[in-house]
Amino acid sequence: MKTIADTWPIVKGDYTVGNPRSRIAVVTLASQINPSPEVALWGSSKTENLGVEKIIVNTISNSNIRYILICGMESRGHLAGNSLLSIHTNGIDKKGRIIGSEGAIPFIENISREAVKRFQQQVVLLDRIGLTDLTEIMKIVRKYKDRGEVYPEEPLVAISQKKRQSTFTLPRSGDIIVSEEFVMDSAAGIVCPTKDF
Amino acid sequence: MFKFQKEQEIVNIAGVKIGGQPGELPTVLAGTIFYDKHEIVKDVARGLFDRAAAEKLINLQEASAEETGNPHIIHIFGTTPESITRYIDFVAEISEAPFLIDSPEGNVRSHAAEYVSEIGLADKAIYNSINMSINGSEIEALALSDIDSSIILGFNATDSSLQGRMEMLETGAGLLEEGLLSIADRCGIINKLIDPSMTPMGNGAGVALRMTITAKAKWGHPTGSGIHNAPSAWNWLNKKKEKDPVLYKICDVGSTCLQQAAAGDFILYGPIEYAPYVFPMAAMSDIMISEAVADLDIEPASRHPVNLLV
Repeated sequence: MKTIADTWPIVKGDYTVGNPRSRIAVVTLASQINPSPEVALWGSSKTENLGVEKIIVNTISNSNIRYILICGMESRGHLAGNSLLSIHTNGIDKKGRIIGSEGAIPFIENISREAVKRFQQQVVLLDRIGLTDLTEIMKIVRKYKDRGEVYPEEPLVAISQKKRQSTFTLPRSGDIIVSEEFVMDSAAGIVCPTKDF
Repeated sequence: MFKFQKEQEIVNIAGVKIGGQPGELPTVLAGTIFYDKHEIVKDVARGLFDRAAAEKLINLQEASAEETGNPHIIHIFGTTPESITRYIDFVAEISEAPFLIDSPEGNVRSHAAEYVSEIGLADKAIYNSINMSINGSEIEALALSDIDSSIILGFNATDSSLQGRMEMLETGAGLLEEGLLSIADRCGIINKLIDPSMTPMGNGAGVALRMTITAKAKWGHPTGSGIHNAPSAWNWLNKKKEKDPVLYKICDVGSTCLQQAAAGDFILYGPIEYAPYVFPMAAMSDIMISEAVADLDIEPASRHPVNLLV
C-alpha cells in the first residue's frame, strides 16, 4: 500500500521535513525549537484557522504519521494548539467553526469534513502545550517515532483547488473589470458602478 | 491610475487626514512598536521596555514623516492589559500623533478602549480592530468607550474571496448576525477605516488589493492594509532572509507600493525601525500616483510629497 502522497508535504509552511516514515510529527506552536530528523514533520503553527488546516492536510497525506506532539508556547489570542485539540476531539459545525475552540477565529475554509474525520481517526494528539525543553521533547519523540502500525488506508490528499474560475458574471460595460458591481473606463480613468457606465 | 465616481471620505483623526481620491492625500503610514519579539521590550506581560530606545524609534518615524509629508500613526501592540496601559501612557507622553491600539486578545483591546477613554485620549486612539471574532462583551466595551475611530477588518475565515470579504462587512456573511459595518455603527465608530485583511500569499493576499478598490468604490471609506504581512508570512522569503537580509527588507518595504497602486489610503507597514525606508518608498509612489491623476481634477494636498520632494 502506498503510504505517502506523491507531492508530500502537500502544503508549504514553516516546517522541516525529517524522516517521512516516522510515526510522529511535532508542532511547536509559537515557539521556534530546533528540529530533529527523527520526526516526519517539525514546525510551528500560530493560527487557529489556516495553521490548523495545513497540519491536517500534511498529516493525512502521509499514513505513516500516527502521533502529533503539540508543544511550545501557545500563540496568544489565536490559540492554535487549543484549536488543533478541539478539531480532533469535536470536529467542525455546519459553518466550519471548530467546535469548542477558544481561539479568536477558529474556522476552516479549505478542507472537507471527510478530511477532518480522517485526521481524527489517523492520529493521536499528545498535548504538551507549554513544553519547550528540547531534551524532554526528544524523549517523547523517541518513545513514539516507531510506535504502532501505518494507518491502514492510502494517503488522502484533501485541499481545495485554488479558485481560478470567475465567481461572478463578468460585466459587459467598461474596459477594466474591478468586480461584478464596478468597472473602469481606462480613457476616462473613472471607477464607477456597472449600471452607471 | 483612476478616480472613483463615488465621493471619497476623508477622516481627520487627531489632525491626521486619511482617505480621499488616489493622489489627493499622502499615504498615512503606521509603524508598529512593542510588537512580538521586539528587542526593546524587556517584559512582555508587564510592558517593561527600554524607554530611550522606544523614544528614539518614535522620533525616527516622526522625522521621516516630517521629511516626506506622509503623516504617521504609532501602532501599539500589547498582549496584556498591564502592558498596553504602559505603552499607551508612554506613546501619548512623547508624541502628539494618533495611535492604533492592537492586541490579539479581545479583553486587552476592550481594556485599552476603556483606558484611553478614562484618561481623555480616545480622540487620538484607533481601535484595531472590529473583526469577525468580536463578541458581545467587546462590542459593549467599545460602545461604552469614547473611541470613534476603528479599523474594520474584512477577514472571512470561511470564504477568502472578494465576495466573502465584502459580505463580512455588509451582512456578516452568514457567520455573524450583522455586518461589521453595522456593528461599528452600534459601537459609535464614526471614522471607519476599512482593512481588506492581508492573508498570506497562497491564501488570497492579492484579493485584498482588489478589495481595496472595490471597498472604496462601494462605500468611499478610507481603506488600507498591513500589506507587509504578505511577504513576512512567506516561508520561501523567510528562508532566503538568513542568507540575504536585504532581500527580505526589499520585499517587505516594497510591498507598500502595491497597496498604494491599489488605491490604499493608509498602510500598517510593520516594524517601526523600517521608517527610514518605508516613508521614501511611499512618497515615491504617492508622487507618481499624483502625477498620473493630474488631469482627473484631483488636487494634491499642500504637504503631499509631490509638493515637497520634486
